[in-house]
Amino acid sequence: MGGSSSLLPQEALGEYQANPFQHRICHVFSTSEDGDDSMSFEDFLDMLSVFSDAATSDIKSRYAFRIFDFDDDGVLDGKDLEKLVNCLTGQGEEARLSSIEMEQLIRNVLEESDIDKDGTINLSEFQHVISRSPDFVSSFKIVL
Amino acid sequence: MEAAPGTAAAAAKPAKSCKKYRMGKRHANIYTYQEPPHSNSDEDISEEKADSQDPEQVFQNIQYQKEVMSNIRCRPWPMRQKLRVLRQAKEIVLKYEGRLTRTRGYQAAGAELWRKFLRLAYNFVVLFIPWEMRIKKIESHFGSGVASYFIFLRWLFGINIVLTIMTGAFVVLPELLAGAPFGSTVSKTIRQEDLKTAQDLDTIWSLGGYLQYSVLFYGYYGSDRKIGKAGYRLPLAYFLVGMAVFAYSFIILLKKMAKNSRMSLASASDENYTFCWRLFCAWDYLIGNPEAAESKAAAIVNSIREAILEEQEKKKSKNLAVTISLRIIANILVLLSLTGSIYIIYFVVDRSQKLENNKRELTLWEKNEVSVVVSLITMIAPSAFELVAALEMYHPRTTLRFQLARVLVLYLGNLYSLIIALLDKVNSMSVTNSIYSIYQVSNNSTPSSATGTPAKEDTLSATISDAQMNSSESHAQSLPTAGSLVNNTASSNSAQNQCWETYVGQEMLKLSIIDMIFTVASILLIDFFRGLCVRYLSDCWCWDLESKFPEYGEFKIAENVLHLVYNQGMIWMGAFFSPCLPAFNVLKLIGLMYLRSWAVLTCNVPHQQVFRASRSNNFYLAMLLFMLFLCMLPTIFAIARYKPSLSCGPFSGQEKIYDIVSETIQNDFPAWFNSVIAYISSPVVVLPALLLLFMLIYYLQSIARSLKFTNNQLRMKIQAERTEDKKKVVQMAVGQNLVDIPDDQIMSDFTQNSEGTRFQSLDGSDKRPDKDGGLISQESSVRASTPRKNGSVLNFESPVSKGTRIQTISQTVPHAVPSTDVARPVNTTPTTSASLTPAPSVSSAQKPRNDHTTNRYPSVVHGSASELCKTKPYTPVTFKKRIGDVHSEPLFRKSIRQVNPDAFGAGAPVFVGRRPHATRYFIVNENEPRKKSARSTSRLQRQFRIEEPEDIVELYPCNVRRYVVQTPQCMYSPHPSEDEEDEEALGRHYVKRSHRPRSLSDLRPAPRFYIGDRADGHVLTSKVHYKSWDDGFELDLDRPPYAYKKVHLKNVEADQHYLEPQVKPKTKHMLEQSLTESDSVSIESSSDPQNSSNDQYIQVIHSKEKYLKPGTKLTKKKSNTNIELNMSEPNELVCSNV
Repeated sequence: MGGSSSLLPQEALGEYQANPFQHRICHVFSTSEDGDDSMSFEDFLDMLSVFSDAATSDIKSRYAFRIFDFDDDGVLDGKDLEKLVNCLTGQGEEARLSSIEMEQLIRNVLEESDIDKDGTINLSEFQHVISRSPDFVSSFKIVL
Repeated sequence: MEAAPGTAAAAAKPAKSCKKYRMGKRHANIYTYQEPPHSNSDEDISEEKADSQDPEQVFQNIQYQKEVMSNIRCRPWPMRQKLRVLRQAKEIVLKYEGRLTRTRGYQAAGAELWRKFLRLAYNFVVLFIPWEMRIKKIESHFGSGVASYFIFLRWLFGINIVLTIMTGAFVVLPELLAGAPFGSTVSKTIRQEDLKTAQDLDTIWSLGGYLQYSVLFYGYYGSDRKIGKAGYRLPLAYFLVGMAVFAYSFIILLKKMAKNSRMSLASASDENYTFCWRLFCAWDYLIGNPEAAESKAAAIVNSIREAILEEQEKKKSKNLAVTISLRIIANILVLLSLTGSIYIIYFVVDRSQKLENNKRELTLWEKNEVSVVVSLITMIAPSAFELVAALEMYHPRTTLRFQLARVLVLYLGNLYSLIIALLDKVNSMSVTNSIYSIYQVSNNSTPSSATGTPAKEDTLSATISDAQMNSSESHAQSLPTAGSLVNNTASSNSAQNQCWETYVGQEMLKLSIIDMIFTVASILLIDFFRGLCVRYLSDCWCWDLESKFPEYGEFKIAENVLHLVYNQGMIWMGAFFSPCLPAFNVLKLIGLMYLRSWAVLTCNVPHQQVFRASRSNNFYLAMLLFMLFLCMLPTIFAIARYKPSLSCGPFSGQEKIYDIVSETIQNDFPAWFNSVIAYISSPVVVLPALLLLFMLIYYLQSIARSLKFTNNQLRMKIQAERTEDKKKVVQMAVGQNLVDIPDDQIMSDFTQNSEGTRFQSLDGSDKRPDKDGGLISQESSVRASTPRKNGSVLNFESPVSKGTRIQTISQTVPHAVPSTDVARPVNTTPTTSASLTPAPSVSSAQKPRNDHTTNRYPSVVHGSASELCKTKPYTPVTFKKRIGDVHSEPLFRKSIRQVNPDAFGAGAPVFVGRRPHATRYFIVNENEPRKKSARSTSRLQRQFRIEEPEDIVELYPCNVRRYVVQTPQCMYSPHPSEDEEDEEALGRHYVKRSHRPRSLSDLRPAPRFYIGDRADGHVLTSKVHYKSWDDGFELDLDRPPYAYKKVHLKNVEADQHYLEPQVKPKTKHMLEQSLTESDSVSIESSSDPQNSSNDQYIQVIHSKEKYLKPGTKLTKKKSNTNIELNMSEPNELVCSNV
């Protein structure tokens, strides 16, 4: 296959240091065996193809789901959502949501999206929600 | 043929396939140079098949491979796999395609070349899209919101280019080339008294002098009907182009809006996922700039907080008095400022008019004060509104909306008051004109002008109406008065050179220029210098400039867009009177583009309150359309209402501007056309036509309404079905885990069964209930279902064979079967113990077992003893261990029984409705085999645990199952047997290993491409295994099963989640595999975004049916020796369904 020897370390994407999900993105697209989340050329291609304009919203949402699924268990549960919110809000003291707010937020999110009421959001539920969003596709892309 | 179901989805999207394939191909080519180009388009396969060994099949195969290739981009696989599959498919196509025809190879090569060329051309064209790179850069720094402003700007730029070309090509150029040269006619010469100042800066600045007498303005254009040798009808062209500007703008706007709304149609507006969107769609992945990221994060936090607050507000009622009063005050303030601004504009125009009339020499300020004031107001008022909006305490989104609405009203008010004031002035001018004409032609032509004037009365100001009165009286009474009046009013400008159209055009152009200057100034001052100050002074300032007061300038998308709209409105308003206005606007937009993008990149931070206007949003366009309409009105009004200036412009001497059309028709068209036009314009035709139009509108509207209605209904239906489907799938999934069968019949069957069994259990084991309380009763009921094998089994057998839905239930058989297999073959076949001998009558076989149960429970030792005698025959080696197991067993069970309710209580929210019931049922269900072997029991338990969550998440059996394995196992960790723990450890090990590196996307494809081989392989392995089982069970009871498992794990990734390694029967293995395959296949097919969950679920069912059959067949094959096995299957089915 070629190219597999050149691994892209996680820090190499300098332009995207601002992205709160950078580690998750690296993790999701990495196929590295030793778990250092480095990306081979193919992984990189993979990532760019998912984040490109041409990718369908189905694929985009699928990978978004995996990015948000922090513990890689295939569902978004409360903990995943909490981590997601913390990622979004950053580490600042005033920016972080209080536990009450967090609880409320997660409850509301689950209320909206959890169709089968199992307390978690699975892929199809996630995609259902995402497909209704007007600007997910336009924002879930990367321009290098 | 691999994975046939995938083709269904593949066929569903032919439209995108080409493009996608192209991309995929390019990726592939990086690696596969050696491969020559080949055909991949579906179209050219439609020819007849060639004569190979089996052309039909080859053809289908090729087509299938092509589908695979074209859809490869839609698959969520890692690149490596995509490449592999792609190459494989290509090889196949390449290999077989030659057999079909030779010519197709050339065709394909040609097509490939053409595609490459197109791609190249596309890449080339992209280079010429203006500012593409710039916009991309902004997009990558500030996100799509800010970029949308620039895209909108670029789009406006495009429109203005077209408008410029239209006016330039049809009006300006002909006039320049073929019109009378400068100075040849009165309207094209500068007056003598102005000549000396014509080149002064301030004259040029106020667009007087040479500029006034140039192609810039209406007045310069000659009124000759035909110019040049070819006889170009300039006046007609002028009029038509003026109208075409509006028409083109309308058409292009509506087209764009229609396109956008078509794009955004998919997102139903009535479904609202406020929180989810705020969370999942919040981040703009384009953002790469740390500062932008910071403010984006802040914006997200704000929006989340706001949503939470809103939610909290909803719950509690609050005291609105203060806020309402505040809002009233705010609205009053806004209204005041609006009226104030309108008044100021009117006042300024009026003043300038008076000044013009009274003073000969105007200062620079006096000449420009109108446009300066207007621009100032447009700059200052929005900020004032923002301050006022802070009073209102709406939440930010509403605030933004209010703000936009107010600003829009302000802009419109400005433009309107300006144009009205100008038209007022025009009125006075045309009146003086008319008076002048009266004066000139004396009494001869007065009737015509007099008839013209009274109609104007409504809009005239007092002085003018005075003049009018005078004028209308003038011809009746005395000329000298009229003459003196004219001399008074028209003293400053000789009426000969009065040209109101030029005047309006001048004002609009001036306004546009000053607006541009103010924009530039505001960008420099408010953004750039402020940014500089903040950045470099903050070190030596007493507070933090960057975060406290001045901060950096924000890029307010909405306001800026509104400003663009306003700017465009000015252009439309003035375009008729100043044909070069679009050209000027083009320059302005170019400048704005560069300046804005520079400012954004250097000294702006994105607005905290992000205005969500993606490209598919029609908001900007709707505003623009609104603006266009409102800006068209004054122009149309002026055209229709006022008499064109007598001495200048292409329409001089006509009564109305639009007379040019009828005049041309009258003079230059043949007579018959004239009569036709006369007919058409007569009321006989016009009235019915109007009526027809109204009827048509009404009809279309009612159709639209009904369509909307049906649309809504369909959407509701889809929603209902979707939720229904989801529920069904969940139920089905749960049903596999022994719960919730949608079928009422079965449910009733089941309840009957359980009722019955409960009675029986009460008979069978009386002493039990006092042990465990409530749970026990259920347990016992199900335990008793063992003895009831006959009845319940038969009950269920029949429905199983009945219908499709029941088929889905019968899927549970595979799950359950292995457990019995585990229990039974181990116990029965080799031992030939009396109780479990393969007896033709099942009831006889059951009764002893029932005895066992009753006997076993009272005392632990007894149970273990019975266990012992069973296990003894096969496993002398592991005997001790087994004893240990067995001894620990009661303990374990006790603990379990107490733990379980808790555990499931804790886990209860996870499960839907009836879930807890179900789990309890199957716990008991496990108890039943436990009677036979403690080991198998515990294993079964785990097995059930493992399977159960699998189906909650109906779409990834693999992952989820794997995950959920962990927690239940932890629950059971108290189990003392080391064997068990080992297993656990191993299981966990596998779980962990299989867990991370490959997840969803990896797992699914694996089964997909090996279906054929796998099924075969499985039959084989299962058989082999089974044999080995029979022969040497000791081996199995020792660790060897792990080895088995490992082999399997290696073979098939998807199997890794079946971690109950030990006594696991192969049938189960295989069946489950097939199930997962079907699952994954359905997922594959559902990867098509258009395929809603509907199809997907249907497919699940189908495929499961398909796969189920071989499974059952297999089990039958296997169970040839003992009927008991067969019988036990249904039995397990009952249990599992329970």
